[in-house]
Amino acid sequence: MKKEVFDFTEIENFRDTKNPEGFFCVIKKEFVYIGILFLIALIIFKIAFYKESFFVLLRNVLALFWLFVLPGYFIMLYWKEKLEFIERFIIGIGLSAAIIGISSYYIGLIGLNIKFHTIVLPLILILVGIIMSLRRK
Amino acid sequence: MAKIDLEKIILVIFIIAMFYLGPGILFGHKIKHDFPFGYFASDAFQHQVRAEAIKDAGNFKYEAEYISLGIENSEGRHPPVIYHLAIILSYASGIEVYDSIYFMTAFFAIIAALIMYLIIRNFSKTVALLSLPLSMLIFSFPVSLGYLYGHWPSLLAQSFLILFFWSIMKADLDKSFILVGILLSATALTHTSSTIFAVIFLAIFFGMKLLVKKLNIKDLKNIALSLIVFLVVSFYYLVIFMNTWYKAQPYSFWAMPVWEGNPGFYIAGFGLLLIPMIFGIIFSFSKIKDLYVPFILAYTMLIAGFLNYAGFDVRSFQVRFFWPIYFSIFFGFGIYVFFKFIIKKWNFVYTSIIVLILLIFISGIIKLPILKQTDNQVIPSIPYINRGTNQGVMNQLHWEALKWLSENTEKDAKIYFFYGDIYTQDALLRNSKRVHYQVNPDDFIKALQDREIKRSYISELPGDSGGSIVARTGFFSFEDSTKDKPIEYFFGPKDICNFNYLVFDKVSGQEVLAKYNILIAQELLKKDFINPVFENDFIVILKNNNLGADCIEERSF
Repeated sequence: MKKEVFDFTEIENFRDTKNPEGFFCVIKKEFVYIGILFLIALIIFKIAFYKESFFVLLRNVLALFWLFVLPGYFIMLYWKEKLEFIERFIIGIGLSAAIIGISSYYIGLIGLNIKFHTIVLPLILILVGIIMSLRRK
Repeated sequence: MAKIDLEKIILVIFIIAMFYLGPGILFGHKIKHDFPFGYFASDAFQHQVRAEAIKDAGNFKYEAEYISLGIENSEGRHPPVIYHLAIILSYASGIEVYDSIYFMTAFFAIIAALIMYLIIRNFSKTVALLSLPLSMLIFSFPVSLGYLYGHWPSLLAQSFLILFFWSIMKADLDKSFILVGILLSATALTHTSSTIFAVIFLAIFFGMKLLVKKLNIKDLKNIALSLIVFLVVSFYYLVIFMNTWYKAQPYSFWAMPVWEGNPGFYIAGFGLLLIPMIFGIIFSFSKIKDLYVPFILAYTMLIAGFLNYAGFDVRSFQVRFFWPIYFSIFFGFGIYVFFKFIIKKWNFVYTSIIVLILLIFISGIIKLPILKQTDNQVIPSIPYINRGTNQGVMNQLHWEALKWLSENTEKDAKIYFFYGDIYTQDALLRNSKRVHYQVNPDDFIKALQDREIKRSYISELPGDSGGSIVARTGFFSFEDSTKDKPIEYFFGPKDICNFNYLVFDKVSGQEVLAKYNILIAQELLKKDFINPVFENDFIVILKNNNLGADCIEERSF
């Protein structure tokens, strides 16, 4: 029998918030870590760039999280059983930069102006990461 | 539990120190600047301007004509990733591209140091922590020239290279070939020559695997799939690369012991830190057969850093900018082995204390006296981070003038720059975003010495012809766009009356040069079709409204 493109029973399993290995349960737990790391990043930026206004720093940290941390986190979720959170977090930042940098070049050549890439590419990566994790057995 | 907390605390302290002493100092503890801050060489402006041009165009199909010697529709041939990332970050963060491209390079260097930490941690957590402090030296002088002089594509590519090493270490992960392939592509599309070092690493790693009889079919299948992913992802750009850079700058075997014009980094620069590093190297030999990635990558990049003796010239010197990260394993392992001789029962607290002491020394808070080795060579006892900030070549008033030119002149206007102290770093002139010529300083000084005001000065068309300026005539066919241009187009006498805008610096380190500039400007202003259109304390810009007309009276003074 041909396998369904999308196996909804798998999603149901992941939705099970009582299952500690479930997708949403993992995300819920790890988003707390990401939130803490966001605050730590903001504090580090305030120390390193103490002459800068808070709102400039806040926007910069938000930008780094939107462009590199979140897409990287969701892509790396695929390997969540094999890699601990901190490793996925750090590797995800670099991996996201690699994918966004390369795809931005090609998508730009296809015709989508680079000014839209800031929104589009992280969104696509986040969605791809979620789908990859959901489809992983 | 306390052990884990200590590790996290040390990591946070390390990251704070890296940001504060690295980008913090480089950027004067600000992220947003009014002009390109901390730029010390033409190359830095070269990358900044290209990113600006891509931002304006919306893509990197073509190189802007004001970059490529006034030639339109020349194929964008520089590895594109760094520019695209800088632009995207600029849009997201609200900072200018000149800030985002610089910041991003330093940011990913810190991420690379953390990835190296993860790679070493796979071998030993204690060694990984002890290795951390050495990484901070990527922001010490002269290693920091990689940032100051604008070797940014190489630095970013090396960050991806370290991530690539991690992906090889984790080759047993499901679908790891996708990671390996993408990361190899990232190095190729950021600084293509850095991919060679990845290939050298693979050859050494799999060669050793073969020697110790650990190479299996799965490894070969994995690497084959990785290469397929790499070729698919990189193919389009590699076609451009092979028809530009590869043809224009083919490999040739020659030795380049010294990096002329750059105070390059040499192994002796590690000073006394070489002692634990040599310890680490000696004791790492026993670990070779276990194929630990951190050691193999360190050996690889040690070799790579000396390939300047085998035709890799500048590329090998650029590798050395990241030596403090690559060699951190030797350093950490050497210290660990040394202390293990003294302390039989190792405690995590010892690790923490040693790391903090090393961080203090390398940060330059406490400085040891300089040891004289010989009369003409000095080896610093311990290299440390220089904690002085410098704004670099650019300043607010020059920036204002360049911005004015880019925003207020006609797109096809031609600009002529007379003498300016900072114009030797000619890529900064591309911020005018117009095709421009600049006076040849030798001819300018000669005219001054001869006490002459001339209509025609020897002039240079500054621009970027690296990798050759080509037009794409088919998917695989490219044509040299400069072949029909006479030599005088690039360098030779130019009639200043044929330029729409003439730029004069009113201030110079050598006052007489500025005075001569002003004298020429005053002579031009005698014509009613020439008007000042911009002026600040440093610069005056004149507009010629009657192109080609007799705009200046040639005379002696």
